[in-house]
Amino acid sequence: MGKKFVVPFGSQHVALPEPIRFVFTTENEIIRNVAVDFGYVHRGIEKACMSKFKYTQVPYVVARVCGLCSISHASGYCLAIETLMDIEVPKRAVYLRIIAHELDRIHSHLFAVSHLCEVAGYENLFMRVMRDRELVMECLEIFTGNRVQYDFVTIGGVNRDLTKEVYEELKPRLEELEKRLLQLKEIFEKDYTLQMRWKGAGVITKEMAQKYNAVGPIARASGLATDCRVEFGYFPYEELGYRMVLYHEGDIWARNMVRVDESLVSIEIAKNAMDNLPEGEINVRVRGNPNGEALVRWEAPRGELLYYVKGNGKPVLERLRIKTPTFSVIPVMKELYYNQPYALVPDITISFDPCLSCTAR
Amino acid sequence: MFFYSLKNLFSPPATLEKGTPPPKNYRGTILYFEETCIYCKKCEMVCPPGAIIFTYPEDGSKKLKFHYNPYLCIYCGECVRACPKPGTLVQAETPSPPATADQKPNDQWFEIEKLAVESKKKWQEARKRMREQKNKNQQ
Ligand code: SF4
Ligand code: SF4
Repeated sequence: MGKKFVVPFGSQHVALPEPIRFVFTTENEIIRNVAVDFGYVHRGIEKACMSKFKYTQVPYVVARVCGLCSISHASGYCLAIETLMDIEVPKRAVYLRIIAHELDRIHSHLFAVSHLCEVAGYENLFMRVMRDRELVMECLEIFTGNRVQYDFVTIGGVNRDLTKEVYEELKPRLEELEKRLLQLKEIFEKDYTLQMRWKGAGVITKEMAQKYNAVGPIARASGLATDCRVEFGYFPYEELGYRMVLYHEGDIWARNMVRVDESLVSIEIAKNAMDNLPEGEINVRVRGNPNGEALVRWEAPRGELLYYVKGNGKPVLERLRIKTPTFSVIPVMKELYYNQPYALVPDITISFDPCLSCTAR
Repeated sequence: MFFYSLKNLFSPPATLEKGTPPPKNYRGTILYFEETCIYCKKCEMVCPPGAIIFTYPEDGSKKLKFHYNPYLCIYCGECVRACPKPGTLVQAETPSPPATADQKPNDQWFEIEKLAVESKKKWQEARKRMREQKNKNQQ
């Protein structure tokens, strides 16, 4: 038994993008206990949606829950309301939503990948991934009219159409990005330093992922086949060339590779959707107020996002509940720290791609 | 990787230069053309952050005054889609000018918000008086 030390990590820390606080009790270098504390950025969004905003305005409010996956929140909410009110979204709008959603997934995944490189001490690769991410950011800016907050999805459809000019701007950028991503993938597969650091570190076994209910890329890196995009069939993903990316190692490297591979799949889906865009309306008019309740599980870049809405025939919702992916992976994250060396903490944390502004809302 | 990085050292930055105009189709500020407006206030009602406010004239006439706060606006375009008179509200492709301290964007807007509530009361009173006057004239 060595002497016990208490090491706080966060809420402000150079290796952390978000305000979360861990208190590690270490014995020499090895972590023996950990306490997690989040909620530093609670903004009361759920309450605001239930008191101040009409249900038609809520998509723009929930989009502000998260800066990286704002479109997932908006589409999750809109899907819930559409299920509740039996609104049929036009096919073209569905395809446009898929495109926006997949582009968003790419940029969120690339952000996570680059950040993981940074905490591994590979600044050069971090810069390179960020540079390539710029391409997809440009795509999103051209496509939705804004760089970060897209405000693209509304109840009953989408706000903007994909015109010919936009299509011609997007296509070469996506092709270029695909090329660069393949190069990146090669680096991640071959690079000696990264292999040393990431392979076999922070392993989540399949049983562990099942037991602690891991979601999204983290679960898929452990060989757990779960993806809300195809499990519920809200959108026709399968006809657009979706395939599930599964790795079985469960370590940091596998989580990183899942993100890289999923970005490649997302590019393919987005390109297919753009090429096969059906003609028609992009929006249907919505009348009446929601009455009843609905629950939707929707795949955000980080994993399963749960939206619960309850209306009582008034323009303002009675209840809105959001459960975010990071919230779901905190138990497995906590479990993972036990008996790991302290030096691995930044890599393990970032390999989960935590989004605390979602979690605390 | 090494050669790629070395090449990067001598190439121009990947990010855009400062002052580059926004791309086409950019979601910018809202422009208002009063000539066609019918003062239905639909835009005020749909606006999520409340960046559009109408204040009422004191004499009870129907000519409301339009106020728009480009710093509160989220450029969602809901107002443009809600407007029954196409062309009254238009979404420009330019971003709002940077807010500086001496413009006092917040204080001014709070004044307008207060004014909207007060002027509505006064306007309703004026309308009431007008109606009574009209009734009297008819009798
Ligand atoms: S664009 Fe959106 S936020 Fe701006 S004034 Fe119109 S409705 Fe309001
Ligand atoms: S919705 Fe259009 S017509 Fe109605 S008040 Fe606003 S600008 Fe005027």
